[in-house]
Amino acid sequence: MSEPQPTPQPEIEITGLSKVFGQGSAAFKALTDIELNIRTAEFFTLLGPSGCGKTTLLRVIAGFEQPSQGSVRINGQEVAGLGPNARPVNTVFQSYALFPHMTVAQNIGFGLKMLGRPADEVAATTADMLKLVQMEAMADRKPSEISGGQQQRVALARALAPQPRVLLLDEPLSALDLKLRKEMQTELKRLQTETGITFVFVTHDQEEALTMSDRIAVMSGGRILQLGSPSEIYNSPSERFVADFIGDTNFLKVKVVEALTETVNVRLPGGALHSARLPDGLRPAAGDDVSVVVRPEQATLGDGAKAHLTGTVTNSVFFGTDTHIHVNLEDGTPFTLRRQNAGNTAPPAPGTMVGLTLADGALQVIRE
Amino acid sequence: MARQFSISRLPGFGAIALLTFVLLYLPIIILVVFSFNENQSQSIWGGFSLRWYEAAFDNQQVRDVSIRSLWLALVASSLATILATLAALATTRVSRFKGQTIIYALINQPLMVPEVVTGIALLIVVAFIKVQTGYTGMGYLVLAHTAFCIPFAYLPIRARLETMDRTLEQAAADLYASHVQAFRYITLPLLVPGIVAGFMLGFVVSLDTVVITEFVKSAGQDTLPTYMLGQLRRAVTPEMNAIATLFLALSLCIVTLFFLVTSKRG
Repeated sequence: MSEPQPTPQPEIEITGLSKVFGQGSAAFKALTDIELNIRTAEFFTLLGPSGCGKTTLLRVIAGFEQPSQGSVRINGQEVAGLGPNARPVNTVFQSYALFPHMTVAQNIGFGLKMLGRPADEVAATTADMLKLVQMEAMADRKPSEISGGQQQRVALARALAPQPRVLLLDEPLSALDLKLRKEMQTELKRLQTETGITFVFVTHDQEEALTMSDRIAVMSGGRILQLGSPSEIYNSPSERFVADFIGDTNFLKVKVVEALTETVNVRLPGGALHSARLPDGLRPAAGDDVSVVVRPEQATLGDGAKAHLTGTVTNSVFFGTDTHIHVNLEDGTPFTLRRQNAGNTAPPAPGTMVGLTLADGALQVIRE
Repeated sequence: MARQFSISRLPGFGAIALLTFVLLYLPIIILVVFSFNENQSQSIWGGFSLRWYEAAFDNQQVRDVSIRSLWLALVASSLATILATLAALATTRVSRFKGQTIIYALINQPLMVPEVVTGIALLIVVAFIKVQTGYTGMGYLVLAHTAFCIPFAYLPIRARLETMDRTLEQAAADLYASHVQAFRYITLPLLVPGIVAGFMLGFVVSLDTVVITEFVKSAGQDTLPTYMLGQLRRAVTPEMNAIATLFLALSLCIVTLFFLVTSKRG
């Protein structure tokens, strides 16, 4: 895990944060020892399956939940103990939570009105926001009179109108259909770049996280397992959970034959040697059994002599741009490789013996 | 494909349904029909006439008790609605506490305790206070009706609060609203249909109750229902039918309004 660059001050600084719900035997630890710095103006994503604590963490930052332990600082100011109305953050709710009895414009102006801004300023900012999310024509409609995608835009505009330091987004795209979701992903990224506001985005959708984020924190069981850029998370997962949760992955059991400073040389199931990268803080010694991951696009079908692995094709699945070829390795381990459908080469028939060649740096050692 | 099960195809369904509706509505239909009877009989039709309505409107006593009934219902249900709104907020907008179920039950007491028991209990208390203070005004009836109306007003208000999306109040807080502002701008406007429904239910209940009024009222404090009961002990004329029909119409109007208000913006 790379250390954050020496920025003057993180936008959000979370230290030693824990959150426990309930008491005694019914107690449930939703967050455990969270240490997290979120940088100013970055698009930061909390990624994990449902129940991993990502929404609880967002709600602690927003002020809807108070931490059981630890501190949350926003722009250097301790906010633990402060209510949501005393924090310079605004939230886009999963359900949008638009006020049903107010018009689109009244919804957008609500925050500024509560801040006691003069009416003409509220009106001017509301107009700006309507323009920003291209909803000028809908200003006088009620939320029930606009579509889900439009409600989404209004919820965004409403949260952006008071110009918060941080915008919190709680799975805001999950209610939209695929096409609209793609559009809104681009839209969100544009808004984040244009406004320069720090976005903290919660999602369980790994593709969404990879395409939009500057950095991602992968969470499970109330802990942050790995924090890094999308390519770091994808290419160098440090734990089995992270590797499994993000993208498709092959897991192999290997034996370390030589430990170098940054990498190790390992013996693959077929006996071939290959170099493998190490996660931060893990230094296996020669002779240790470790697990490595290989992404399906890092393996190619090769001739038997130079192959790192050999196995039997079980079946192939056509996906349009690429084909997934499923292979059973000699020791029975299933392995999937992805081949781009550039030419018209037919995939090998089931039962064919094939050799697999792994790209340099394809192997990443993981923690179990 | 097999037809879906429908209870309406069971034997005897039609007969039972018909009997139920006859039981529910036949007496009322007869009452209404004979309010327009020309002669004084409750069983022999003598032609259409509005004479009993005229008689009722000309009757000073009927006017007095009607106004008293409406005034009492208005005051009592207003007070009950305010208290019920506060009670509903106190039982839904707090973290769950021990004994919450008991509090619900206690607030709903008049729904469970037989009316006559409440009436006797009130009678004893009122008699005691009367002896101590000498006060014999409408205050007793107002308090008794208010207490009686609270659960009826409470139920729709609480239901509205419980089904309201709590995220809306969180969103308001997130957008810098204080507790008071969140209540003023979000909770209260969204609660209005529940409050109106609670008020109207309370109004109808206060208008209808005979037992509570009968036990608590002092001399000259008859409401419309207790006046009608008193009259019926003497002579039954279609004037009573006419008053009852008007009363029915008023209740129906309020109940219809209640349904309109509660179904809207649901």
